[in-house]
Amino acid sequence: MFRKKHDRLTAGWVAVLAFVLGIETWVTPAAAQSPIKIGASLSLTGTYAALGQNQQRGYQLCAKQMNEKGGVLGRKIEFVLYDDQSQPATGVRLYEKLITSDKVDAIMGPYSSAITEAVANVNEKYKMPMVAPMASTTSIFKKGRKFAFMVQSPAEVYLEGLIDMAAKRGLKTVAIINEDTLFPKATVQGTVEIAKKKGLQVVFVEAYPKGNTDFSALMTKIRAANPDVLGAATYFDDAVAITRQMKELNVNPKMYGVTVGGDLPKFYELLGKNAEYVYGASQWEPELPYPGAKEFNESYKKEFPGADLSYHSAGGYGGCQALVEAIKRAGSLDGEKIREAVLKLDFNTVYGGFKVDQDGFQVSHKMVMFQWQEGKKVIVWPDELAAGKARFPAPPWNQR
Amino acid sequence: MRWAVLAALAIGLLLLALYPLVATGYGIRFMLQLFMWVALAQSWNLISGLTGYVSFGHVAFFGTGAYAGAILVTTHGWHWGPASLAGGVAAVILALIIGYPCLRLKGPYFAIAMLGLNEVMRVLVSYFEGLTGGGSGLSLPTLHASGQIYYAMGAAALAVTGAAHLLITSRVGLRFMTIREDEIAAEAMGINTERYKLYAFLLSAFVPGVVGGFFARDQGYIEPISVFPLLTTITMIVMVLFGGKGTIWGPVLGAVTLFVFQELVWARFLYLHQIFFGAIIVFVVLLMPRGILGVLQERYRLPRTI
Repeated sequence: MFRKKHDRLTAGWVAVLAFVLGIETWVTPAAAQSPIKIGASLSLTGTYAALGQNQQRGYQLCAKQMNEKGGVLGRKIEFVLYDDQSQPATGVRLYEKLITSDKVDAIMGPYSSAITEAVANVNEKYKMPMVAPMASTTSIFKKGRKFAFMVQSPAEVYLEGLIDMAAKRGLKTVAIINEDTLFPKATVQGTVEIAKKKGLQVVFVEAYPKGNTDFSALMTKIRAANPDVLGAATYFDDAVAITRQMKELNVNPKMYGVTVGGDLPKFYELLGKNAEYVYGASQWEPELPYPGAKEFNESYKKEFPGADLSYHSAGGYGGCQALVEAIKRAGSLDGEKIREAVLKLDFNTVYGGFKVDQDGFQVSHKMVMFQWQEGKKVIVWPDELAAGKARFPAPPWNQR
Repeated sequence: MRWAVLAALAIGLLLLALYPLVATGYGIRFMLQLFMWVALAQSWNLISGLTGYVSFGHVAFFGTGAYAGAILVTTHGWHWGPASLAGGVAAVILALIIGYPCLRLKGPYFAIAMLGLNEVMRVLVSYFEGLTGGGSGLSLPTLHASGQIYYAMGAAALAVTGAAHLLITSRVGLRFMTIREDEIAAEAMGINTERYKLYAFLLSAFVPGVVGGFFARDQGYIEPISVFPLLTTITMIVMVLFGGKGTIWGPVLGAVTLFVFQELVWARFLYLHQIFFGAIIVFVVLLMPRGILGVLQERYRLPRTI
């Protein structure tokens, strides 16, 4: 236990510390050529830590390389980054801090739809543009907000590639199954519309509850419907289980694709040969030939040796590219002017196309479809990004 | 002395009331969340500090209030004020349902039952998707009302601290504390322990529910994991233990100290604040189990009712 003297001493140290920290925030250099400050809070600890850190590396690399090229508007770029501990409440407080206390010039989004949804109210209040790379929930951008801009493709288009390829091959019928939660549901909604537009007939749609492991009844129904194409809006575990049970019950449509989970290496590890010919959807893959993507991959590996490279990193980098480009074109740091410039942008980042509609909703970024071929993910759609040809139709299960 | 304290309190409150006139948006949001923590910590103190029944699931009431409030705002168009009060009522109803059987459990069994309650509530909220939006959360119409919510949160913190004062200086509070010190003796003295435990529990559930409603309105978006995190309960507990459980000002002191320090430290050192938080738990439990106020009470012979 502390003695009285110690008590006072400790209190003294705490006071000194608080004082020093306070001074430091007060004395901010106000030189003419001070850097342009871009603020963001990311999930650097907590549930989403691994993904948030990937995104952070994307932001940092973007700032570094932009500065090497001379910055923007003759000024350097500096990121002010905080940790929101994967909690929306902390994120909201930090974005208030970034905007009203740190007085940043623009902001980038946090990690995840949930935190983006919460902080989008903050930047909206201050009319400060926010490019949000890691939110793909459509509703965030369709609530009448003016200052939030989407970078990724929305849930609705995850299976667009599968349907498009099927239509081009003259297939006629499609069945769709999904986990009964929001994201897969949005995918189904979108897929049904795309199929109708492309002239395919949707012969079967059914949802299964989250955590379902027995798909045999569902498989029997699908076999009865006998579709040319089967699309499954999944997460990881169900994607594996459905594929397995398709083999067991010999359900073999000419094309079969999954949404989330099919892109993980573990998908192939668990399924082996049975994963062959399966299509999967992805926001981004390192080998995609987007302008600057190759250099991005290389410098990322050089800058962060051993660090994980995922679409979160590329999305962070690409979103930052879009914001910087908008600032350049606006020629100003005024929120309204940057907003106007973002709305007019139509260009390619390392993450793919970037163009938003009047609501800030992404309309240019493309999902890609890959197919598992001999243990590798080969991108087969869209044509201009394809690295190989789709193997079609899928052979019987016992010949894979 | 008494007048000096009252005058200081009045001046403090006046300053806090005037603060939004000069504050930045960040300042308001920071203070608003600080008030929230004071209210939550003080609520936990009412059941766990006074009767000794440790609740490991108090965030369940916070989350219930948040969802009840948010649903009333989004689907029934209520103003967030009455909606949050209804959230408090919903939390009390939940406390009644769960407290009636569970408060018969003693010691760790009650703590674990409460831990389970939080998990159950989170799963239920995810399951009844039509009402709650399920895992995709609930998005409230955009409204910039931080200024008003600042006062609402402040009032909630003040009210529950006032309640703690009333209880600790009254016979009812003495009955609560007798239960804490020795439940069998309390019963032998003619205290209806089941009833008084339930009173304390219901009291302690109301304000977290209300505050949950305010929180949902202020955030504009809630999802199961953002309003039912175990971490929130743990933070409440640490704040109370740090400041001094079973006291009036301990929870306030704990919430203010830890929240302010966390904000100062964690803005600078990424991982340090987690270590710091863990160290405080260990330090407090081992060296000053009665918290700062408890130590001061012992050392300086301060009155029991601070």
